[in-house]
Order: sequence, then C-alpha cells, then structure tokens
Amino acid sequence: MTAEQMTADDFAAALAAATGDESMLTAGITAATLLEGDLCLDSLDLAALGALLRDRYGAAVDLPGYVAGLEIDGIIGLTAGEVTDYVNRCQAGRPR
Amino acid sequence: MSRYLIVTLPLTGHAHRAVAIADELTARGHEVAWCGPESYFRPLLGPDATVFPTGTRLFRDQARHGIAALKSLWQQYLIPMGRFMLPAADRAVLGYRPDIVVVDQHALAGAVTAHRHGLPWATLVTGAMELTRPLMALPLVDAWVRAQVASFCQAAGVTDAGFEPLFSPYLVVAFTTRALTGEQPFPGHYALVGAAPLARPGDFAWDLLDPARRKVLITVGTMADGLAGDFCQRAAAAVAPLAGSVQAIIVAPSGVLADPPGNVLAVPSVPMLALLPWLDAVISHGGMNTVSEALVHSLPLVLAPIRHDQPVVAAQVVRAGAGIRVPFSRVSPGQLREALLRALDDPRYRRAAEQAGGSLAAAGGAPAAAARLESLVPAAR
Repeated sequence: MTAEQMTADDFAAALAAATGDESMLTAGITAATLLEGDLCLDSLDLAALGALLRDRYGAAVDLPGYVAGLEIDGIIGLTAGEVTDYVNRCQAGRPR
Repeated sequence: MSRYLIVTLPLTGHAHRAVAIADELTARGHEVAWCGPESYFRPLLGPDATVFPTGTRLFRDQARHGIAALKSLWQQYLIPMGRFMLPAADRAVLGYRPDIVVVDQHALAGAVTAHRHGLPWATLVTGAMELTRPLMALPLVDAWVRAQVASFCQAAGVTDAGFEPLFSPYLVVAFTTRALTGEQPFPGHYALVGAAPLARPGDFAWDLLDPARRKVLITVGTMADGLAGDFCQRAAAAVAPLAGSVQAIIVAPSGVLADPPGNVLAVPSVPMLALLPWLDAVISHGGMNTVSEALVHSLPLVLAPIRHDQPVVAAQVVRAGAGIRVPFSRVSPGQLREALLRALDDPRYRRAAEQAGGSLAAAGGAPAAAARLESLVPAAR
C-alpha cells in the first residue's frame, strides 16, 4: 500500500474524529495552526489524536512519543504541519 | 507552645489551606506568624495577625492554556515572587525566630530561607501539579521546571546537592488522599491529610433556591476571569432547557450573564461550604479546593480543566469514577448538558464521589496536619 501524504485537511479530519468535534473540519486549520495556542488541545486530546493517527497511518506513528521528546517551547509551538510532517516521515520509514 | 512561621502565596487555594492549619495550631496553643503580601493577607487574617510583609507581583498573564500557561506561571509569577519574598522571609525568620517554617510548595522563598537558617520546615501541597510528578510524561518540560527551580536556588545562594525546595525532607503535608492520587507510594514523611475546608463568610440569597429542583453549582475559579465569561455563557445555555428539573448557580464575573435564563442564579461569589449541602452536582474547572470540598459532600463533578494542575485533578477525579471531563475551550452547551445529566442521573458517579469524599474527610484535615507539624518540634531540639 502506498500511503498518501498527510495534509492539513487530513489533520483536521483526524482531529475531528479523535475529539468528536466536527467544528475542527471548518476551523481553517493550516500547517501553521498551533495545537495548543490556536486549537487549545490538551494532553487528553493529544492522546486521542495519537491513538487515531496510529490506527490510520500505521503502528510506527507514535505522537505521544514524539511530543515527549520535545523541549518546552517545542510543545508550545507545535503546529499541525509538524504533526503531518512527522506522520509522513514515519510512513517513509524515517520518523526522526 | 511552639512558634510557626507560614510562608505562602496570595492565591485562594494556597492561602486558605494555610489558614485552616494556622487556626488549628492556634487552637492548640501555638503561635503563628505569616510571611506574604500584606495587601492580601491582612484582610484575610485580621488586624491582630503577625504578618511579615513581602512585595507582591500580580499574576496577570492568565488567558493561556496548557504548557504555555505552565511556563508563564513559573517564569512570570513563581520565580519572581520567590525573589520578591526572599528578603522578607529572611527578616521574618530573624525577627520571629520560629521553631518550624511551614512553606507552601510554590512559595520557594520559604524553603530556601528555612534551609539557609537550618530550621526544620514543612511543605504544604495544595495542588496536584507536583505530588504525583505528572510532568514525567513530558520529560523535557519536567527538566525545564527543575532548571527554573535550581537557578532560583543558585541565585539565592543555596547550591547544596539534594536540596529540593518543592518537597521538604522533614514533612510534606498534602491535601489529598490515595482516593485521588492512586496507589503510588509516598515516603513516610509525607502526610496525606485529605480535605481542610475553611468556612468563609459570604452572602447568598438562600430564599431563591428551589427545593423542588436539582441544584448545580457552576464555578470556574478565581484565576480564570478572562476565560470564564464565554464558558459561563455556554453553561447557562446548557442548563436553560432543563428549567423544569434543574436550577443552576453560576459564579460569573459581573456583567457576563446580564440576562440569565430563569433557572440560573448568576452571582459574583458564593459561600461555598454553606452552599454545598444543598447541591446535587458541581461543574468546575477542577481547582483542588472546589473539587475536594464537592467530593466531601458526595457531589458528582463535571470538570472542564483550563491549565496548571487542573487537568491532573480532572484525570484523578475521572479515574476515581466521581466525574466527567469535558474540554473547557470548546465544549458545546449540548455536550455540557449531556455530561451534567449523566453526572446527575447515573448513581455511580455519586457513589464514587461519596467514596472519594469519605476518604478525603477521614484523612484528618487540618488537625492531622497540625499534629504532624507538632511532631517536628522535638526532633528539632
């Protein structure tokens, strides 16, 4: 199976499914959208998103592990684009 | 008779627990003095209290979530406050000559000063941010916090390896129990004393409470005014369709609910302990004070945590089965109503609240804390 590149729209869809919040689909999420500052996601949301990304994009996708490796400013500044880049790297077999 | 110096912060959840302990120590014949901002503590403690005044610093930057809020709490408030308080804490120790220093976990100046003077000191843990080390899930964030604390100590001239200002090596008094913390073991000098409620005067229009309807208190705390308005409006919309069966008391910043639904009493504050016995559920941001007092009254909770230790408290309550967590920033009125009705109608939440509350009430509270503080004195001499 050749996986398609994950986009910001795919991110919004995954987030809507993970949080059960359909408004994420129309929230205008782009690669630059901040998970914490713009979307107010908390650790529980991230855990739900992480589980969904793993199911959807493969067992190599470990979002909680990725976030745990970030410095404090990296977590504050984490964007949708970084998450999709990370997922795409995982799918290409080079997560880091 | 011993002399206790209490060093704490001008924040309700922190200060009120310290007052409960001070009242108990005083009732046992001890003397208590305070070190903190006089503008906050004088009205709280009255004209006769001994207060060694510190400078203060307003914690303005509140409209933030998550890790950004944690960073600003440390960088903009706890560390600068610690610096402001250091000289006053020193004066207090020299002037008052306490036997024991009782230090709020986040009043860093108290721990450093007690340590510098070789005095035994106790930590008061009033929140959930440190006790179970919840930040271990984000190791680099945890390391950042430790580094802030370490550089504060270094700047204050305390460089001893092993000195940890957040946790006293003599006594750590935590206002929780294993019903909330889980089974994680703690060292023997940790005393989990449960709830230490402090009755405060306050007016309330008791005649407006309707005995025929179930009553819900909705309060998102003293530190969230910038964010509270929007939540209060969603909460009012959530309960409005329940007018036949539910009456809500919403603690809202003035002007936020200018024209509330008929089944909503919008008030600027409530006499919490007097009101709790009349309630059926509480919707809250998850401050430790509100949560433990609600649990002691066997009230199921709907928690919408905002920041700091609130997500930790919410996770503990959910794990205990005593409440439901909803997302503060985006929970819709419909979702909030659904969560509230589940908390009200499913008896398992109330039973779990009763169980957790029973544990918090049975743990001894301020008297147990005072007894442990008394036991520190002989060891010191």
